[in-house]
Amino acid sequence: MKTFQNSTLWNPSRAYLFIIPSLALFLFFFLYPIVYSIYISTTNANFFNFVSGFDFIGLSNYRKLLIEGEFFQPLLRTFLFIITSVSLKVVFSLFVAALFSSPYLKFKNILYPLYLAPWALPWFFLVMIWRGMFNQDFGIINHMLMSLGFQEINWFFDPTNAFITYNIVETYLVYPFMMTVTLAAIQSIPVEIQEAAIMDGASPWKRFRHITLPLIQKPFLWATLMTTIASYMIFGVPFLLNKGGPIGMNEFLLIFGYKKAFELGRYGFAAAFMVIVFSILVLLILIFSRTTRLTESVLE
Amino acid sequence: MMKIRKGILNVVVTSIAVLLLIALLFPILWIISSSLKPYSSLFSTEFQLIPANATLEAYEWVLFESRFWEFAKNTVIVYLTTILSALLVTVPAAYGFSRFSFKAKAAILNSYFILAQFMSGMSVIALIGLYLFLVKIHLVDSLFVVGLIYAATTVPYVTWYLKTYFDTVPREYDEAAFLDGASFLQNLIRVIIPISRPGIIVAIIFITLLTLSEWVIAGILLSSHKFTLPVALVTLQGRWETPWNKFAAMSIIYSLPLLILFMLSHKNIEKGMSMSGLKG
Repeated sequence: MKTFQNSTLWNPSRAYLFIIPSLALFLFFFLYPIVYSIYISTTNANFFNFVSGFDFIGLSNYRKLLIEGEFFQPLLRTFLFIITSVSLKVVFSLFVAALFSSPYLKFKNILYPLYLAPWALPWFFLVMIWRGMFNQDFGIINHMLMSLGFQEINWFFDPTNAFITYNIVETYLVYPFMMTVTLAAIQSIPVEIQEAAIMDGASPWKRFRHITLPLIQKPFLWATLMTTIASYMIFGVPFLLNKGGPIGMNEFLLIFGYKKAFELGRYGFAAAFMVIVFSILVLLILIFSRTTRLTESVLE
Repeated sequence: MMKIRKGILNVVVTSIAVLLLIALLFPILWIISSSLKPYSSLFSTEFQLIPANATLEAYEWVLFESRFWEFAKNTVIVYLTTILSALLVTVPAAYGFSRFSFKAKAAILNSYFILAQFMSGMSVIALIGLYLFLVKIHLVDSLFVVGLIYAATTVPYVTWYLKTYFDTVPREYDEAAFLDGASFLQNLIRVIIPISRPGIIVAIIFITLLTLSEWVIAGILLSSHKFTLPVALVTLQGRWETPWNKFAAMSIIYSLPLLILFMLSHKNIEKGMSMSGLKG
């Protein structure tokens, strides 16, 4: 058996025959475009001159972004969003996970798949539903607020209110993921430990705080980091709700870059912007995977 | 005394869970109710699960008057291209990663795993380069190209997932196949694929859910007569404010097959998706 596995049959050079088609597809449509963006970022390419011919302008797009500082406002907004939305997601998913690990919850088997139901719908559809619910003319949310005696709220034409809606909708989209990961971790805690704690008279809250939380730390931290990085690249929710408005006041990194490229046609500038975003992303992933052994904990 | 306390706690915890569930499912109930409203009462905000003057006029509009079928045809073309090309390249790749050992293996698998978590965000980052590059080589506005791009975005996750699945197929089976004179390809097709059918099904479901909710790439690369349903749904709503009941009806019709697929397979998906379920 051993000799068979080590035989020349499994010659590494043959492995590439199997792998190359997939690598080629991936490199052609994903990695090459990023390399091409780096090239475009050093030019003055725009909507008008892209086909007819554009010029090399060195690092002047980068100078505009980093030295004249156009990069920093979207960056700052994005960090603010990461802080608020990740905290909200963590608190909410922990709450739901705690609920489902409670011995007092009945009908768990019926409730659990229903909690995951939003996951089954295309996510853009869920965002569009929320856009309708927040709508001023026919949205149900303002209607509810008013019937409870509150003022109606202008959700999308006020930057702070719009920011709040992004947080709500993001949490709504991500809780099934975080809840699943957390619950899977909770279920892997040996029953004996919980039983021993019950025998010792520990209250449910104490058991959650001192047994469950420490034991699920690793997968939960992993889910939180994943969510953090995903929030760094927040795009779909604010774009669909009000395009990062009003008047661009909520443009996060990817929305800013996307609009500069596809609404204003400033290809060179937008490419430089995305190259910086991408570099920070790679840096973030490297830092996270070094400090938490991100991949090992999952691949093992 | 203990019994009463336990009973009270049961009621309290379960009602919190049920109330929260109602809040979480409310958007879905609201959109169903909206789709049943006639155009004339679209702006009444009164919520009734089944509106008093419920009508199927929005659904009739979607099925018989709108461009739904045109968009659906485009979606099917993209979807089939994606599924076929994704499986055609990732199944052999997963076999290569599972059975062979070679230098770059760990590095590629690790980067695939990381990339898989953030593909949707990364595809926005790569979109400028992708669009300009496709303009240069005259490949924009093609449904097949969009299908191939989707397939490319699924490569990291699907390769990684299928590799872990193929790893569970005992290598004694390979040995038996080779002793019978099978080639690698025969080993893959006759032995590995049939045994790994459940894993391949999860991969197909994953590709399906991912492809059928993508609108960013397609929205940039396709012109309006080639829109897929997701693009049509988000952009038509954005540009011309399609009446909300019609939007609701079209989205619901579009989501039904996905919902059924999810309900049939949610146990498998939970496992597979908790590895890569990030949206947005």
